[in-house]
Amino acid sequence: MLKEYWRFKGSLIPGLFVSFALLTLAVLLFLTLFGATDANTTIFGALNQRVIGLLKFTLFQATLSTLFSALLGTLLAWSLAHQPRFFSRSLLIALFSSSLVLPTIIVVFGLITILGRNGWLNHLSNYLFHHSFEGFLYGLSGILIAHTYLNASFAARGLLHSFESIPKERYKLAKSLGFSTFKRFVVIEFPAIKSTLFSISSTIFLLCFTSFAIVLILGGNPSYNTLEVAIYEAVKLDFDISFALELAFVQLSISVIFVIFSSSLKTSVSNIKIQESIIPWRDAFGVRVLQKITIFISGLFFILPLVAIFHDGITADFTRIFKSVVFMKSFSTSIIIASISSVITVFFTLFLANSKRNFALHYRIPKSGIGKLLAFLISFSGTLYLAIPSLVLGLGFFLLSQRFLAPANFWATFALLSANILMSLPFSLSVLYPSILKTAKRYDKLCFSLGISGYERWKYCEWPYLKESIGYVLALSFCLSLGDLGVISLFGNQDFSTLPWYLYGLMGSYKNSDASGVALILLVLVLSVFIFVPKLFKGDRFVKN
Amino acid sequence: MLKIDKLIYNYKNENEYNFSLDAKRGEIVGITGASGNGKSTLLDLIAGFLKPTSGTITFDGKYLGDLPPEKRPITILFQNYNLFEHLSVKRNILLGINDSSQKSDLQKVRQILEEVGLKGFEDKKALTLSGGQQQRVALARSLLRDKPILLLDEPFSGLDFDTRDNMLQLVQNITKTKDICTLMVTHEIDDCRKIATKSYEVKNGKLTLL
Repeated sequence: MLKEYWRFKGSLIPGLFVSFALLTLAVLLFLTLFGATDANTTIFGALNQRVIGLLKFTLFQATLSTLFSALLGTLLAWSLAHQPRFFSRSLLIALFSSSLVLPTIIVVFGLITILGRNGWLNHLSNYLFHHSFEGFLYGLSGILIAHTYLNASFAARGLLHSFESIPKERYKLAKSLGFSTFKRFVVIEFPAIKSTLFSISSTIFLLCFTSFAIVLILGGNPSYNTLEVAIYEAVKLDFDISFALELAFVQLSISVIFVIFSSSLKTSVSNIKIQESIIPWRDAFGVRVLQKITIFISGLFFILPLVAIFHDGITADFTRIFKSVVFMKSFSTSIIIASISSVITVFFTLFLANSKRNFALHYRIPKSGIGKLLAFLISFSGTLYLAIPSLVLGLGFFLLSQRFLAPANFWATFALLSANILMSLPFSLSVLYPSILKTAKRYDKLCFSLGISGYERWKYCEWPYLKESIGYVLALSFCLSLGDLGVISLFGNQDFSTLPWYLYGLMGSYKNSDASGVALILLVLVLSVFIFVPKLFKGDRFVKN
Repeated sequence: MLKIDKLIYNYKNENEYNFSLDAKRGEIVGITGASGNGKSTLLDLIAGFLKPTSGTITFDGKYLGDLPPEKRPITILFQNYNLFEHLSVKRNILLGINDSSQKSDLQKVRQILEEVGLKGFEDKKALTLSGGQQQRVALARSLLRDKPILLLDEPFSGLDFDTRDNMLQLVQNITKTKDICTLMVTHEIDDCRKIATKSYEVKNGKLTLL
């Protein structure tokens, strides 16, 4: 068996090294966190009345958010699949794809502009009906709206691909058997999208369970706090580290259980291009109307907050914004950290995926207990972030920074870089791994028989087929990193800040005009990178993927 | 002579394959049978992509079992993905030998392309070629690699009748003129009748001489 491992050492060693480095970091943080807790603390011991209250609300909002997102996402994907041709369909789908990388603070800012006390909706309602909605955006309803905004579009994008992958023959069969729209959905469509729906729902649940920025801003009062926000408040506002550790202990335990439970489900992010819909005929009039209304309202729901950011931001005093030293520092810190972490993410993903595929192809390394364990460790190290929420991760680094003194901002930079890389890895792996596995399945035998290996294999066989996915992963991880408001909330100060943290500060001090301008800058930056960077990696026209 | 002696392979402890055959130089051995019976598994074992549970493979008395695929005296034509579509014909062929672009190598490429009826095709991208032309390029590379065993894993199954006949003819000529040993897996019994010196049928993981 060692002979097979040795034969693939070039692809095994870098991935295993990255995997063990990530796991070591996780263990180190784990020991730091729980070395600082009371030795007698158990999950049951930590579950006092206050923590149980926080846990209940965290689970409640995550369950409702997942339910709403999955329902709206499915309805929207179904509508889009059955409406193959309408003006700006591909633009709308591209915008839905971008929901994954939109900074949560931007989403919140846009939603406040539309649905807040002084928002567009209230102005319209006042004008038309002399009635205003008071503060419904703050509290549970606001959290659910923001989570649904972000995750329903993410779900719709993933599910649309599943709908469009249903063989045309199935629809022909349904037509010939005279199925109603509902029966067609139950018998043909739901079984086809079921696994994707469950995997997307589990990802959404985890994202909502560990959601931070949305709850921090829209939660309103302590009764709507989640574990993440409570950790932040315990560290930054109450300076109660031992309570923060209790919360982290509960948060971490539950996250790990969810990750183990959902590890059999795939993380569903894809840069697969949407095909023209394959469904060859139109539905009944009433169904078509329902589909069109769904698309219109969802589109409006998604686009309006972005339009609001453009509308309000464009009038900001950009000269003043760019003259601000704190803004420039935040801007450069964000760009530098996002650039470094996205490049490292790409390399880590390639190393991990390249190692992992050895265990998936039985002609490379025959199946064995050790092989299964190594494959599991590689996969697990790539999804660590889902098990260690960013605030828990940040708290670990925060404690390390207290224990081991280092040059100014060393720990903050290191924590931010680590968090961003860990945050992007699950998504980047889910994009790159299928491509890297597919390339191996196609060309392994040819390369082995011709003796093509190492750099030559990378140049001729891997890079041409992977570069589009690499470009997408680079943009994705850059944007995720650029918009994160988790770890920075524990380390952010006057000297060390990022754009989202700076924007949060402006919002907190009611500098609305500057906040609009910074939100617009952040939005333009994210959308530009997400749209244009992958174009730089456009595939060779002779490469068939 | 290629000799396969009681080559046993267990797949997931469910299917057991047990192969024995021999093939002389200048001979074309046809291997046919229904899908899923183990035709391609046999070629994968000979090529070294799969490791047998037991048994031996020798060529001219030399044991091949320990050698990795690239070190075996074997060249293979697959049904698909024989070429990198984004590379030129010339580059695809040179990948099989070395990655140099020396004059002598280029001369060899031109010569071999002429042999397979593709004179002047060296700078075309592989993707722009028809299915038959792509298989000819792959065959040209196999010839240039100058290995004494040629394995054909249903490489002509997607081609139209005329192109297929031409390719079979080409394989027959090459096997004779180069004095190599060719093993051809096909689900078309007619292909075997046309060019094979002898043929085997794979049934339930075993070879039966037809």
